[in-house]
Order: sequence, then C-alpha cells, then structure tokens
Amino acid sequence: MLAAENGRDPRLKAISDAIRVVPHFPKPGIMFHDITTLLLDHKAFKDTVDLFVERYRDMGISIVVGIEARGFIFGPSIALGIGAKFVPLRKPGKLPGRVISESYELEYGTDQLEMHVGAVQPGERTIIIDDLVATGGTLSAAIRLLERFQAEVVECACVVGSPVVQGECELKEKPLFVLVEPHR
Amino acid sequence: MQQALQKLASLSAPPPPIIEARGRTRLPPPRCFSTAADRRRRFANRELSLSSWMATSFERSNGAKKGAEAARDQHMESDGGPDPRLAKIASSIRVIPDFPKPGIMFQDITTLLLDPEAFKDTIDLFVERYREKNISVVAGVEARGFIFGPPIALAIGAKFVPMRKPNKLPGEVISEEYSLEYGTDTMEMHVGAVQPGDRALVVDDLIATGGTLCAAIKLLERVGANVVECACMIELPELKGRDRLGNKPLFVLVSSDI
Repeated sequence: MLAAENGRDPRLKAISDAIRVVPHFPKPGIMFHDITTLLLDHKAFKDTVDLFVERYRDMGISIVVGIEARGFIFGPSIALGIGAKFVPLRKPGKLPGRVISESYELEYGTDQLEMHVGAVQPGERTIIIDDLVATGGTLSAAIRLLERFQAEVVECACVVGSPVVQGECELKEKPLFVLVEPHR
Repeated sequence: MQQALQKLASLSAPPPPIIEARGRTRLPPPRCFSTAADRRRRFANRELSLSSWMATSFERSNGAKKGAEAARDQHMESDGGPDPRLAKIASSIRVIPDFPKPGIMFQDITTLLLDPEAFKDTIDLFVERYREKNISVVAGVEARGFIFGPPIALAIGAKFVPMRKPNKLPGEVISEEYSLEYGTDTMEMHVGAVQPGDRALVVDDLIATGGTLCAAIKLLERVGANVVECACMIELPELKGRDRLGNKPLFVLVSSDI
C-alpha cells in the first residue's frame, strides 16, 4: 500500500521532493531514483525512518532484513527504532559464515542473494527493507530466503515504488508498503 | 568467557572458496610474520589475554599530552574504569578464520547486529562522542559503513554521504584510487554532497591497513571538507592502519590483535 492512502502525511512531500531522478542510469531509458539526496536532508531522512518505525513498532517484528547495499542505509535505523535484530542480505561471497543462497532473474542473466545460516529462527516475524522496488525480483528472492528458514515475512517496505508491482515477479502475495511513488 | 569462546568457535565456518577480497581486507602478511597457526593459537587462548579483547578505544593525540591525562584520553574510561557496554559489544563480534582467504581472521559484525542492545550501545557510544562536535557530514564506506553511519548521522543531526565502489552512484562523481594487496580499487563520492567547510566524520566497521579510510579522507578533503575524525568499531593494530591515517585522529571501540 502507499503511505498516502491513509491520509496525506505532511512529511511525505518533502521526502518525495528530496529524491532526485537521474535519467538514463545505469542505461538509456531508465529513470533512476537516487535516494542519496534524501540522505543529505536530515529532517526528510529522519522522517523517512520515523514513518517506517511508526508503522512497525507495534507489529511484533523481531527481524528487519535489509538488502545490500541501499537497504543497509534504512534498515538498521528502523531495526534500532523498533528494537529488532538487523539481518543483512548480501551479494555472493560477502558474508563470511555459512550461508544459504537464492537466485533471481535480471534482465539478462541471474544474480544471487545470500543470508547467514542461524541469523533467523523459525517463526520469527520479519520485514524486508530496500530503497526501491521495481520488478520485485530482489524482494522475491529475499522472501524465499526467509521462508526457507520458516520465518514469517510480514511485509516488504520500500521508500520508493508503485504500490502494485507490475512485471513478472510478484511478491508472492506479500503485502508491500511504499512511502512515495516514482516521479513521473 | 569459555562459553563465549565455544559459541564463537561453533559459528566458525569451514574455509569458503577463495574469492576476490574487498580491497580493505586484503592484507599483506604482518611484518612480525605471525603465521596462521600463531593466530589460531592466540585465538584459542583469548581468555588468557582478555585485555586484548576488552574494550579499549584509542584516541590519537594531535599534540603532546602528558602522563595521566594522555593515559586517560587514550582509553574510553570514566573515572570508574572501561565503559561497561564495551565488553558486550566486543563479545558479540564473531571471528571467522580463513575468510576471505587463508590466514585472515575475519571480524564479523553481523552477530552484533543480532543483539539489539549491543547494536544500540555501539551507536550510542559514537553518538555520545560526536553529538557536541558540530559534525555536519557522516561519510560511510560501502557497504558495512552503511550499517553504522546512518544511525549515527540521524542521531547527531548530520547528513549521510555514502562512499561507494565505482559505477554505483548515479550522478556526477569524484573518484579516488587506492592500493590493494594486488592492484588497486576506486572509491567514489557524489559531487555536491559535501561542501567546503563541512565538518566530516568517516565511518567504517573496521580499520585494517587504513587504505580505504585514506581514500575517503582524500575525497572529502578534495572538496574542502574538514575531516574531524575516523570512527570504526574494530581496529587491527598489527596492520598499522592508524599510522597510515597520518595526522587524522582515529577512534575505535574494540582493538583486536588476532
């Protein structure tokens, strides 16, 4: 769902305005939503984290999962705000301990996401954080990793995204919460 | 302590396939030529040398400070002794032998992140140090610097600026090359993120040889920022990263000599 659906929170406009669009990155035709400009606006960055914390603090979430690398920018602060553990999901070969891996589709080829064995216990309630959702491929791989350890994925949460994800990868019918929609 | 050691030992992974290491952790053999066997022995005997694991934080003094004042400045102590939060932080970091390659004892902070109280204490310790220092920019080095840097920035009212591997940042960037054990790597920062006169803190999870932090310092100074300090959770003093930072102060929570 889109955060604005519950009545327009006044903080959302500044968050949306603080995100810049860089055309044709990483390749022609892509309008890249750059959250680094949001991070330069302390109030807007704090409001971003607060909006997620306010949503999740009473949901009994024990784990916040963040997807490398921009999910690492938002996830830990949310975890600290709601008293949850933080679990990083990483590209192959980065995590030093025993891992499980999940492949996902790219436009050309595949990529992999890894998680440490033992980081998540069966039955734990989790949320997955990334800066932006496009096709949902990365989030879907993250959901599969968590479900392999019988964790419950309560919701996926992104700063930017369409509330209904188009494309081949759906989020396995998991709820998706986004703060702002992509700029037109 | 024995229990902690056993827990850490059981989490240690079998040697993974050798991969291309991050530049920062590709270390030359230490000059004292401690072998992997030496380091394993020291690792096993850690409970006998608790002081090497116990939380100390070192602050390099820019000028000469004398006697008791210098000793007090170097260690993060109140008058009552080391900060009690540091022991828990130190013990929640696990060491993975032979990652990313044989001989390296990798300091894994992901286990700290699984302990919300220890993670919060870690951030609090940095925030307490920097909140009154008028820091306007926290620069975090990809990727583990992204875990610690933003919470610190948010708490002290600073901007957060990510320092990234090549071709990740979408806008106009400036680049700085730095040495690896074999070859070089490049770090990038967005043009316009940092202004002349900004007071900057550089954050990463660990300092080894100091190459990565030096590159970050150079990028910030090239745009006219004043790098006030570098802050890491862990220092590997054998690798003399602190010396490589030159006159830039370094603040760490935990020092590990394995």
